[in-house]
Amino acid sequence: MLTNGCVDPAEQAPPGTLVVSQEQAASWSRNFNPLLPSGTARWAATACIYEPLLIFNTVTQEWVPRLAEEFHWVEEGTVLALKIRAGVKWSDGTPFTTQDVLYTFSLLQEVPLLDSSDVWSFIEAIEPQADNWIHFRFKRPYVPGLAHIGHQLIVPKHIYSKVDHPETFSNPNPVGTGPFTEILKFDQQVWDLGRNPHYWQEGKPKVEALRFPAFADNDQANVALIRGEVDWAGNFVPAIDRIYVERDPIHHHYWFPLISSTIFLYANTQQEILGDPNVRKALSYAIDRERVTRVGMYNYTEAASPTGLSMAHRKWIDRSLEASTDWTQHHPDRAIELLEQAGLKRDAKGRWREANGDLFSLELTVPAGWSDWVRSCQVMVQGFRDLGIDVRLVTRDFSAWLHAVQHGDFDLAMGWSQSGVTPYEFFKGLMSTETVQPVGKRSGSNWHRYGHPAADALLTAFESISDPAEQSALMNQLQHLFAQEAPAIPLFPGPAWGAYNDRRFTGFPNAENPYAVLSPNRPPESLLVLTELEPR
Amino acid sequence: MRGLFRYALRRLGFYLLAAWGAITLNFFLPRMMPGDPVSTLFGRFEGRMNPAALDRLQELLGYGEGNIFSQYVEYLQSLFHGELGTSIAYFPEPVSEVIQSGMAWTLLLAGTAVLISFLIGSLLGALAAWNRGGKLDNWAPAIFALIGAFPYFWLAMLASYLFAFQLEWFPIRHAYGANVEPGWTWAFVDSVVSHLFLPALTMVLASLAGWMLMMRSTMIQVLGQESISYARARGISERRVFLHYAVRNAILPSLTSFGMALGFVVSGALLTEIIFSYPGEGYLLIQAVQAQDYPLLQGLFLAITLSVLAANYLVDLLTAVFDPRTRS
Repeated sequence: MLTNGCVDPAEQAPPGTLVVSQEQAASWSRNFNPLLPSGTARWAATACIYEPLLIFNTVTQEWVPRLAEEFHWVEEGTVLALKIRAGVKWSDGTPFTTQDVLYTFSLLQEVPLLDSSDVWSFIEAIEPQADNWIHFRFKRPYVPGLAHIGHQLIVPKHIYSKVDHPETFSNPNPVGTGPFTEILKFDQQVWDLGRNPHYWQEGKPKVEALRFPAFADNDQANVALIRGEVDWAGNFVPAIDRIYVERDPIHHHYWFPLISSTIFLYANTQQEILGDPNVRKALSYAIDRERVTRVGMYNYTEAASPTGLSMAHRKWIDRSLEASTDWTQHHPDRAIELLEQAGLKRDAKGRWREANGDLFSLELTVPAGWSDWVRSCQVMVQGFRDLGIDVRLVTRDFSAWLHAVQHGDFDLAMGWSQSGVTPYEFFKGLMSTETVQPVGKRSGSNWHRYGHPAADALLTAFESISDPAEQSALMNQLQHLFAQEAPAIPLFPGPAWGAYNDRRFTGFPNAENPYAVLSPNRPPESLLVLTELEPR
Repeated sequence: MRGLFRYALRRLGFYLLAAWGAITLNFFLPRMMPGDPVSTLFGRFEGRMNPAALDRLQELLGYGEGNIFSQYVEYLQSLFHGELGTSIAYFPEPVSEVIQSGMAWTLLLAGTAVLISFLIGSLLGALAAWNRGGKLDNWAPAIFALIGAFPYFWLAMLASYLFAFQLEWFPIRHAYGANVEPGWTWAFVDSVVSHLFLPALTMVLASLAGWMLMMRSTMIQVLGQESISYARARGISERRVFLHYAVRNAILPSLTSFGMALGFVVSGALLTEIIFSYPGEGYLLIQAVQAQDYPLLQGLFLAITLSVLAANYLVDLLTAVFDPRTRS
């Protein structure tokens, strides 16, 4: 009945053209300025037109040199040296030099809007050295700064220095060092990106061009994926085994490694009762995470580690801690015990009441329409209610939800956490007093508003240490503190969505060949995949 | 003729006042929505954006400075200069360019659908009333009303699933083929028409009943008037009575509705655009709401309001030309 793998010739991409579905839009806008706040420029600008100095490969947990050939600390945590690659050309044929790198960073200093990762908060000076080396001198020891500098995309001085307002420059005809830079055509509903004629990696890329059709929403993107019109996709696909793989098991594949940030249930610790770690742990014990991931998340993920860390940080996880604590497991009895310890009492109807007799009642807020999260919350609310904890689920429009959580105007909320090369940003957003804002003031992370002086000390110590063993020891202590204080309740590690159709192209990473992450949603790591793909 | 001119001027004054009211509402309404756009933008970066950058962005987008009144004055001034501001969702594109990008497709899709639906619906309604109690009169209103009663998205999804996804008679998305170069070539026109057919058909089917019933009821009234009997008594041919006496009079109320519908064409066809991935203004509108893109929202509302007012004004004038009684 279903006409499998048959694509209308008028729609079929030419051989050698890889069809990518990453962003969703009803019509494309021609913006290729990679320095603008993320989400405004087209995906390709940050994923394959421009390149960073270094790429951290989350899957292999290694730094991959790109526009920098090598790096080391001249002074631990305060002076970082990078050797800029020789022999690289911009796509218009102009040679790429250390001047471009110096210019890019000075541009970020001049125009703070473009400094998305805030590098000038810790850089003091940038000093060119002999033999293509550049020294980044920091104001204070800050080892995590390596990731911000390494991942900075470098723009051409000879183009950007002629632009009057780089903060509103849409860069319609990009000149980059990446593997794909030439805009072959640009229509509202589809555009093609061709190879860089001067790409510095000999013989790469093998793919001739990338094509980006506009899909207005997830359903449209999925229909195209199912019909075999898309070769590489990063959109969410419900029940993917049944609706995608089963249609063509030979060519349709997916790989959802659990390397996105951990999804949390945040409890507003500024509220008296939720400020008690025992209450937060009681809520955690009341959650059946197996059921949440099965019913809410199509079994795409698993219960979170008690350390809170996702697979992106798996080498940091303290396995002995993981084995010795059970606070992220489903133990209703422990939940009841802890609530009693916190001074709550059950009334005749089995409902929990505060010491003053008020009903212990909470509101759990989640963005409306995020169906996987809403289902997950419904499962959790059921679990809370079964124990007599009065929790109501409230869905709000995304922007209203975001406003509420950022301003601390909530009891319980489901939300994401901070990602980074090391768990530094993750724990900073969960437990640092620096990230705590008063209720009513906007906060980008630490929505639950929890800070602990011990965490501050550990994080500060981490900023000046680059030795892996010492780093690991500090991270273990942070994990212990996290498991002890329960600042927020980890639910499950986030999957990195990635699906591919290898009918026309080979070389995609997967569980058997995990050389990089399949998901295109994590630029600049997509560069690692795009240079490996080959037409059949 | 002088009376008509004065009438036109008076109506113009009224419409200008209405436009000012709409523009003012347009300014205040989005600001009453919960949440704020900078937070939404901030959230999209999962809090990784630095505070200095955020302040700069706020400044660039024109938020945060001045009280609401000075913002309002600034808004009126820039409107006067034809500046609609910078879109947030499509940052850094100016709103006017974002709106322009989908306008041609919106006018094509929604305009074609409204025009065809009006013509066919009115013709069917007139014929049904002319042959009252005939087959057409008995069956067509019921069938079209039934189709029109289905939720539109359901009808469109069914059509998309059956005719585009399963049978592959029509393209499943977009306004023209991915491998076709836009231009005045036969291949392009062919591609545009084949992409237009299914979405336009669903829109026509959904709205046909309204036009048909409206025309039928006014036509029945007109047919009962003495002028028709008089025309027949004079021995004028049935065809001429139908077209020149009955339809011509009966179409007037429909014409008013048609003018309004044409005005609303600019707002696009949200559900059609989403289901058929058709470029246009409807999707922009929903995106602007979700991203709290005030400048884009205001720009779109302004375009819609002005075109509705303009269409109404034209209809007012047309009616005045046809029916002198309305001038006083």
